Amino acid sequence: MANFDLTRINCQFLDRHLTFPLLEFLCGKEIYNQQELLEYILETVNKTNMIDYTMDTRKRLNLSQEMPEELVQRKAEVLATLKQLQNEVAPIMKATDILKNGESMKDSKTFVNALQKDYNFKVEHLESAYLAKYLYECGNYQESTSYLYFCLIVMSPNDKNYLNVLWGKLAAEILTLNWNTALEDLTRLRDYIDNANFSTIQALQQRTWLIHWSVLVFFNHPKGRDLIIEMFLYKPLYLNAIQTMCPHIMRYLATAVVINRTRRNALKDLIKVIQQESYTYRDPITEFLECLYVNFDFEGARLKLHECQTVILNDFFIVACLNEFVEDARLMIFETFCRIHQCITISMLADKLNMKPNEAECWIVNLIRNARLNAKIDSKLGHVVMGTQPLSPYQQLVEKIDSLSMRSEHLAGLIERKSKQKQNQESADSWKYY
Amino acid sequence: MSRFFANGSESESESSEEEIQATNFNKASAFQFSDDEEEVKRVVRSTKEKRYENLTSIIKTIRNHKKIKDIPNTLSSFEDLTRAYQKALPVISKEENGITPRFYIRCLAELEDFINEVWEDREGRKNLSKNNSKSLGTLRQKVRKYIKDFEDDLSRFREAPDQESEAEDEVVALESDGGDAGDDSDAGVKPTEAAPKAVKSAPAKAAPADDDDSDDSIDWDSDSESETESSDDENQYQNMRERFLKRTTEKEEKDDDKRKDKRKEQKTKIRKRAEDDEDGEWETVVKGHVVEKPKMFEKDAEIDVPLVLAKLLEIMSARGKKRTDRRLQIDLLFELRDISDQHNLGTAVSVKIHFNIISAIYDYNQKISEPMKLEHWALLLEVMQSMMKLLLANADIIMSESVAEEHEEYATSPFYVRGCPLAAVERLDDEFVKLLKECDPHSNDYVSRLKDEVNVVKTIELVLQYFERSGTNNERCRIYLRKIEHLYYKFDPEVLKKKRGELPATTSTSVDVMDKLCKFIYAKDDTDRIRTRAILAHIYHHAMHDNWFQARDLVLMSHLQDNIDAADPATRILYNRMMANLGLCAFRQGNVKDAHHCLVDLMVTGKPKELLAQGLLPQRQHERSAEQEKIEKQRQMPFHMHINLELLECVYLVSAMLLEIPYIAAHEFDARRRMISKTFYQQLRSSERQSLVGPPESMREHVVAAAKAMRCGNWQACANFIVNKKMNTKVWDLFYESDRVREMLTKFIKEESLRTYLFTYSNVYTSISIPSLAQMYELPVPKVHSIISKMIINEELMASLDDPSETVGMHRSEPSRLQALAMQFVDKVTNLVDVNEKVFDMKQGNFFQRGNMGNRGDRGYNRNQNNQGGNWLGQRRDRNNRNRNQRGHHKNNQDRQQQQQQQVQTIDEE
Repeated sequence: MANFDLTRINCQFLDRHLTFPLLEFLCGKEIYNQQELLEYILETVNKTNMIDYTMDTRKRLNLSQEMPEELVQRKAEVLATLKQLQNEVAPIMKATDILKNGESMKDSKTFVNALQKDYNFKVEHLESAYLAKYLYECGNYQESTSYLYFCLIVMSPNDKNYLNVLWGKLAAEILTLNWNTALEDLTRLRDYIDNANFSTIQALQQRTWLIHWSVLVFFNHPKGRDLIIEMFLYKPLYLNAIQTMCPHIMRYLATAVVINRTRRNALKDLIKVIQQESYTYRDPITEFLECLYVNFDFEGARLKLHECQTVILNDFFIVACLNEFVEDARLMIFETFCRIHQCITISMLADKLNMKPNEAECWIVNLIRNARLNAKIDSKLGHVVMGTQPLSPYQQLVEKIDSLSMRSEHLAGLIERKSKQKQNQESADSWKYY
Repeated sequence: MSRFFANGSESESESSEEEIQATNFNKASAFQFSDDEEEVKRVVRSTKEKRYENLTSIIKTIRNHKKIKDIPNTLSSFEDLTRAYQKALPVISKEENGITPRFYIRCLAELEDFINEVWEDREGRKNLSKNNSKSLGTLRQKVRKYIKDFEDDLSRFREAPDQESEAEDEVVALESDGGDAGDDSDAGVKPTEAAPKAVKSAPAKAAPADDDDSDDSIDWDSDSESETESSDDENQYQNMRERFLKRTTEKEEKDDDKRKDKRKEQKTKIRKRAEDDEDGEWETVVKGHVVEKPKMFEKDAEIDVPLVLAKLLEIMSARGKKRTDRRLQIDLLFELRDISDQHNLGTAVSVKIHFNIISAIYDYNQKISEPMKLEHWALLLEVMQSMMKLLLANADIIMSESVAEEHEEYATSPFYVRGCPLAAVERLDDEFVKLLKECDPHSNDYVSRLKDEVNVVKTIELVLQYFERSGTNNERCRIYLRKIEHLYYKFDPEVLKKKRGELPATTSTSVDVMDKLCKFIYAKDDTDRIRTRAILAHIYHHAMHDNWFQARDLVLMSHLQDNIDAADPATRILYNRMMANLGLCAFRQGNVKDAHHCLVDLMVTGKPKELLAQGLLPQRQHERSAEQEKIEKQRQMPFHMHINLELLECVYLVSAMLLEIPYIAAHEFDARRRMISKTFYQQLRSSERQSLVGPPESMREHVVAAAKAMRCGNWQACANFIVNKKMNTKVWDLFYESDRVREMLTKFIKEESLRTYLFTYSNVYTSISIPSLAQMYELPVPKVHSIISKMIINEELMASLDDPSETVGMHRSEPSRLQALAMQFVDKVTNLVDVNEKVFDMKQGNFFQRGNMGNRGDRGYNRNQNNQGGNWLGQRRDRNNRNRNQRGHHKNNQDRQQQQQQQVQTIDEE
């Protein structure tokens, strides 16, 4: 299944630290050679300051038990720098702790003022950002976030490091699995990117990064499923970024749409985009939708659904929604089926849904009971008979007329309101001359 | 920019060659070099002379026009002549006691003869073009009327027509004071001083001038242009140099005397040569207009760089002057090049001379609208190539426009030369296209011309290499664009092979080259035009090689559709060509809808030929002026770049058919139906109107016949009409992978026929078996299934599938007549409400903000009435009083939008 694996591409757009979970995840999947993967991890880790992790990886690679001398040395060095940085920032942090309890915490300006007044603090000497970065490099994300939080309060949005701090905060929050704050940071970062005046290429780059990072947040936050559709599909800027820079994100968008039952109307727009981009990116998930909603090829959809399962199973981002996906995909197939059929054999249906006939019957019964479906089962022949009634001309007529009077009334109301407004104004005007 | 580009503008006068020269002579005096000379002129030239000069020049043009039977121009010249004569009348009456000058009478007589001759020649008259014969009639009338005033003179002239004609000929040839000469000798009224002198000077020039004095004495005090002819005189050169170049080589002055002698010797030799040339070159070298070729250098002169450069300047400073023999200049430059090569003066000098040769050759052809001579062009190509080779071989020569003339450096490396190879090569390319357009595209001539394209491309490649080495971004963009323009319309089969994997992925194809060039331009270009053209060419190239998605994305991302109207005509033509090709590409790739969409703008006007610049339409009511026509001709594409129009039309019609026929079937009773393709509809209608329809002959008839077959769902017949032997040779074989296209086409025909069939006949079935449908249309069952499913989902077909029996059950309960009409009516009312809303939206902005009260009240009243009308209509409708209702509807909406009225009327008709 290596051919549908997106880790390689996704990692290009993620922070070094964010790739570790992905790579570790892959280690468990046995798609690639374990040895090679670990070596790759080691190589990446070496570029950070996470010495312990490096050692751990070395162990897993069964390299010599003895840690090389330089590693130990580096560890000491790292600790020393850390301590030094911490010392530098310590007074400010202490002050912050004190102030935190007081009233001045309420808004950032009074807070900064208080700091400046009482503790001789200068915004220019803001080492805490560097410290946070260093902590982050060492893998100490928790502490990093608290420092960054401080930075965000103190810094003005015009500061040249503000963007970096925002990114750092988001990364750290993601790595500490703190989804609520991560979502907050995400929106803050997005607003910043949308409002800052980057050149077009820079903005595109920033957005592409944001899209990738946000996928992590969206699939883990309960509200994320609506938000991902909102952001990727209905914000033209981000849709453009996806289309030009990273069409593979279509997979996540498609998954999000499929597992979101309340947003069925997004499906139509999604399919349009999928068709447009079908030449640059296709995988079983997008193909499944294409089969089902463009070609009405149920057999093809069935096969694709099967493939989808393996793809999802091997994708770090969406592995959690596998069951939901399968369930919803089945429902989609069945719904489409019902819309065009008046009579379906259960065995065929079971075949199309990758289910056993008994299970399928049970499933349909459940659907009927939940009143999602107007149908009856003919158990002698093993058929499901739909209860659809064709629309009579009279009904059609009524349906069409329905809105007419509403619209006319609305229009008349508008006109009336306008003229009244005008008259009022006029009478007011005419009094002026007296 | 160099001078030969300055006269490259389109504003150049459109008059013929002769006229230019004639006017040149008239102006000649104004451009003399030294002041004292000018004074001499002023004294001698009287009003009479000026008028006469004017007359004679016009007469000469008339003669020339007559020779080539260019009647419209003769007419206009005749009008000029009468006007000029009117002007000259006071002078004539004063100076000649009111006797009409003989040469004028003579001209009139000749003109009359000419007209009569043409008029009598009935056979020839029939063959005249419309324009010509029209002007002939006008001319004849005018001349008849005009010569009534001169009847006496004419009859006198006709008695002795040949008298002094020789003298006159000569006079006309001499032109400037010709009027005088002819006039005195003929009428003998008042001999002027100029005449004898002119006569005297003419033989003096004609005979090989051996005596030193003649140069100074005769030429200097004569007022005719014979002195300009001897403008190679040393003094004038001196003047020129002092004036324009501000630099005199002392050495040369010393050598003056010697050189004079030398030149005299050479003169005879050169003149002979020039006269020999004259035979073939009548249009540029006028009789008696001979320029002596100056001697290059002294025998013993030490030839070094400054000397050669000075000489070069001397030659080049004569360019653009009225009396310069341009041909001679070229020869001189070549000689100079040989000399400099012999003396090893360095490549920089050689490059400079090369460049000057190029500009001299460009100068040779004065009219920008006409192509240069073939041999000159070939020469040009050769010189250009050798210059570029020199430039490329010597990295230390920097040739650029930005080098100022003072900073040119020839002696030591690095050399700096002023000049612009880019402009030269661009002109070379333009001239090549002009040459191509000149010859008949179906002749062998064209093919042999086209062979030179390789050389042009090679030259461009050389220049490109040069600019890649040392050029600004802008220059590189320009030369890249030139290359792109030679590349984009050529099909490279390797691209498709590579796509299929038959060639290794590393082979460089034309698409890769295009990519590289275009991307450079996208990144570096700062003029919008080059980028736009590059994008268009890029899309064209992609479309040509079936890279549909890339091409489409480029179109969409560039947003060209929005602002192409603001572009220059050439770019718009390229845009049209691109669109046409994109449409073809979409069709080949099976995107019928996109194909139709791309082509509809081109085809709906009915003149794709004009839009693609592949030929002019015949003239209609609003005739183009000659000037307009000339400009349009210049824009035409050379034949080898044409897009086959029949193919284009066929693709358009077929895709329109595939869209329109099922649509018509689906919306047979729909009041809101709109045409998808107007052109296709017209074809269909016109064929229906015919009382007898024969078997199809032309491509259009084939498509129409196919459309009719498709209407009944008869896919077999439809496919046979579209894909058959005749259509293959006419259209489909023009595609690269024609078999694939035909296959695809048949598949589409089957599918759309099936859809049409279902739409048309679904009301006669209660159920249809899917397998039998599949058999009928020779489609696989799943495909039929999927087509029907799609129709059901889109609510086009009121039906549902029955899985166990594999049938389609129809739900469509046929509405009764009343119901159907009610539905139509509802549609109409919906339309009404839509329009109401639209009108409100439109007026909202300024509706209530009008100044006066009465106006406002009126409008408000109207609006209310309309609303009432709507309500009233609604009440009536309940009573089912259909006819009155509709009439009322009609009446109420009389002031409504026309669109609605039409619809109501169609209902009434029904």
